[in-house]
Amino acid sequence: MQNAALLPIAPELVLLIGMLGVVTSAVLLGRDRREWGSIAGVALAVAAVLAVMQWLSLGGEPGTLHYSARGLSIVRSPMVVMDAYSAFAGVAIFSLGLLGLLAAWDLVETLGDRGAEFVALLLLAVAGLHGMAMSSNLVLLFLSLETASISFYVMAGFTRDRLDADEAALKYFLLGSLASAVFVYGIALSFAAIGSTTIYGAGGIRDFFSNTIVTERGVLLVGIVMIIVGLGFKVSAAPFHQWAPDVYQGAPGGAVGLMAAGVKLAGFIAIGRVLAAGFAAQIDQWASIIAIVAGISVILGTSLAAVQKDVKRLLAYSGVAHAGYILTAVTAGIFGISALLFYVTTYAAMLLGAFAIAGVVTGPREGPSPFAAWAGLRTRSPELAMAMAVLLLGLGGIPFTAGFVGKIQVFTAAASAGYLWLVVLALLTTVIGLYFYLKVIKVMFIDPVADDTDPIEASITTRTVFAVAVGVTILFGLVPWPLLDIVRDALPL
Amino acid sequence: MFPALSVLIVLPVLGAIAVAVLPKRRPELVFPVALAASILPLGMVLWVLWNFQVGEAGFQMLETAVWSETLGIGWKLGIDGISLFLVVLTAVLFPLAIAASRSIEDRTKAYMVSMLVLEAGLLGVFLSLDLLVFFAFFEIVLVPMYLLIGIWGSGNRAYAAIKFVLYTAFGSAFLLAGIIALGLITGDRIGATASFDFRDMLGVGLPASTQLWLFAAFGIAFAIKVPLFPLHTWLPDAHTEAPTAGSVVLAGVLLKMGTYGFLRFNLTLFPQASVDLAEVMAVLGVIGIIYGAAVAIVQPDVKRLVAYSSISHLGFILLGTFALTRQGIEGGVFQMVSHGLTTGALFLLIGMLYDRRHTRRIDAYGGIASVMPIYAGVFLFMAFASAGLPSLSGFVGEFTILLGSYLTLPGLAVVAGFGVILAAIYLLWAYERIFTGPVVHPENEGLADLGFREIAIVAPLVVLIVALGVYPKPMFDRIGPSVDAVIERIESGTGYVAPIPGPTLVVRAGETGED
Repeated sequence: MQNAALLPIAPELVLLIGMLGVVTSAVLLGRDRREWGSIAGVALAVAAVLAVMQWLSLGGEPGTLHYSARGLSIVRSPMVVMDAYSAFAGVAIFSLGLLGLLAAWDLVETLGDRGAEFVALLLLAVAGLHGMAMSSNLVLLFLSLETASISFYVMAGFTRDRLDADEAALKYFLLGSLASAVFVYGIALSFAAIGSTTIYGAGGIRDFFSNTIVTERGVLLVGIVMIIVGLGFKVSAAPFHQWAPDVYQGAPGGAVGLMAAGVKLAGFIAIGRVLAAGFAAQIDQWASIIAIVAGISVILGTSLAAVQKDVKRLLAYSGVAHAGYILTAVTAGIFGISALLFYVTTYAAMLLGAFAIAGVVTGPREGPSPFAAWAGLRTRSPELAMAMAVLLLGLGGIPFTAGFVGKIQVFTAAASAGYLWLVVLALLTTVIGLYFYLKVIKVMFIDPVADDTDPIEASITTRTVFAVAVGVTILFGLVPWPLLDIVRDALPL
Repeated sequence: MFPALSVLIVLPVLGAIAVAVLPKRRPELVFPVALAASILPLGMVLWVLWNFQVGEAGFQMLETAVWSETLGIGWKLGIDGISLFLVVLTAVLFPLAIAASRSIEDRTKAYMVSMLVLEAGLLGVFLSLDLLVFFAFFEIVLVPMYLLIGIWGSGNRAYAAIKFVLYTAFGSAFLLAGIIALGLITGDRIGATASFDFRDMLGVGLPASTQLWLFAAFGIAFAIKVPLFPLHTWLPDAHTEAPTAGSVVLAGVLLKMGTYGFLRFNLTLFPQASVDLAEVMAVLGVIGIIYGAAVAIVQPDVKRLVAYSSISHLGFILLGTFALTRQGIEGGVFQMVSHGLTTGALFLLIGMLYDRRHTRRIDAYGGIASVMPIYAGVFLFMAFASAGLPSLSGFVGEFTILLGSYLTLPGLAVVAGFGVILAAIYLLWAYERIFTGPVVHPENEGLADLGFREIAIVAPLVVLIVALGVYPKPMFDRIGPSVDAVIERIESGTGYVAPIPGPTLVVRAGETGED
């Protein structure tokens, strides 16, 4: 098994090498965009393939291998863990990263020399995202989170000439740092209560709960709540969502897709790991908190999205609602993990696709994407309008789309955990969701073209992105069973 | 065995794909291909009708493909006497509605795709035996209907379309919550995570309080679809603003999703709650009958008039269903089909007039009978059919319902009887104002009478309405056993005993001392 010793972190290594390759090729060798772009793409593709190999090496068993600096097997306090969960997360995150790169390519082409920096940051961010999924240690989880977040702060403000992008980046950075601080404090408090920051291994958090009867919960609970707040901020669950609309709206159209979808994907996978696996024994304590956060998220998210007049803001607020929907599955603990994975992977693809289309309609460098720019889109580009309509219906949870299957999954999980009130609430808010998604469809298909009537042509890269996103939406809506079978096995240790 | 029911659902989908991929430079192909694609399911339906075993109560032509054992979801289709004629009705109305859509010139392709997807969705609703699949079809119907009203509608179409979607989606939210809850309970009983198989669910004996909650969750979704007073306010807008074919399908088939849901799911899955709430539901039905008819009388817009008349007619179906007697329910199923034919025809006729004059205001007409004699004749025929003239199908349905409801709810049946009189008032008064007298508006003088194509569209409906009115027995023969099974299910699940007509009727009549 010597050769396999590096397998758990091999994708990250490949991404970092790729990142160095991009910088070297662009800055030292002065090669053109095509070359360092391909390096980044290949790095992401190889990482995805390695994640598949991780999955296969586990032999279909949910999680058999621990890894730390000292080698394989279960060690005292592993830093990272390679299980079916992290392998699945790897495939999803790296594929999403590749799509994100393609979606950002229109933007990169406008950035000139600085494009390589952007692409390097993108690779770093993706490495950080997967780090969140495979961390066994909460401190490493924090470091991965910051790696991804700081990369995204920079990417949000990459078009420095635009004031709203600067504002978005600054806002994201300040509020994000605050959330990170809360998160670290939560880790510290849970460390104070448990005496470990590691989830797995001897003396770890799970070990602690299986050997100890917890009587004094005060510090521990505050710690868990702060961890929830910190991660809840990252996935923009209400009431920690205020940054999302401004950041999504201000950030360049080409960059925002991966920022939004990637953080949601990895953030929820981390929430699943920490709560459903790490603090599984305390589910009675945190499930009701999650349920309340989910309830607030679906109400605030949908009601605020309903009054938006900007597609990117609308997607941001609806993202708050989607965070709520996914959290309903978390209330079921480990039994909701499959539902969470199905929902969040398909949602991430749809969200990235929708933002990619926004990047085409209102420009990859531009921030705001007002409805006026989308009016009568079907005459300017039937292809974009149709693709967007499918993605919006998917986000709205219309049957025979992946969004519908995902919603059935998370709501069934929550109902089986006894949170029927939350299910009813969430279902009612999906009706409001239908309202604003259909509103965008109305703008595109029923409203007349406003001022600019030129046809819009999507580049081959963005076209690939939304083609894949539409494919995911329809394919996993009509034939969800293969993916459902996979996520059923992709449980954390 | 030949998967007839799957083919039935898939055919319109394939048709929609075929229409979608037609080359752009051959727009003249769209209409014939779409029409052919809607006639194919009709052929399939005739095959189903032919092979349907008369006298059998349970589901026939079953198809089962389990998708997930653990989640208890699968593609399960079946047809019985209750769903059979709704499927037939769907397959009959769609070719006619598409044939009547010649005047659609904007985005014809998308229009036809929407129509065909809508047909597939509706057929799926009536054929699904897995409640999640049923729900998926129930919901998917909203999308093509939203587009049909929103894009090809008239007047305040965007508002009407979104109102329609939001109303029905609001109900569906409760329906899905109910389905998930029931699926988990069923799964618990049979030792799986969940099961959404209708036949599994029938085997679960639910406590009365659970039945009440689930009845409410299912009921609100179906009540909005029917629509039941006071949840009906989406209907006049949607019907009025929809294009002709949209109104035909909306009134003809979509509303029946609600009454079908009550009959198929609420009565059989929650028998105790159905018995307990029967009077409440029947009262709501009767309010709908009287309210819909009364409001219809004063409508200045003829399409709106027919829309409100639907509320009235659907009230009859609900009354019959919750009378919980064989005659009431059989009449209800019959009336679902009959109303689809008569109201569908009325909307088609109004559409033909609208194509000529581009107004639906009653006062814009007058004396039309002298310029369009054939049209006037057909309209009068349909008005009589809708009002329930004996020997036409509307009479058979409403009379059977009144008969059945008189057994258990005599007071309500008497009140509902006035609905028939009101129907004659609003329809004949509208006829009088539109068709009789001299031509008051000069622009009406040159109106062309029905052409061959238009006559060909309404002729099948005329034939069916007469045939069902004169000889309804073949239909009742097929509906009967399945309705008996529903009654038996209610009786075995509760202490309720459905009254048998005959002696009871005589005694009751003697008691009241009438005639």
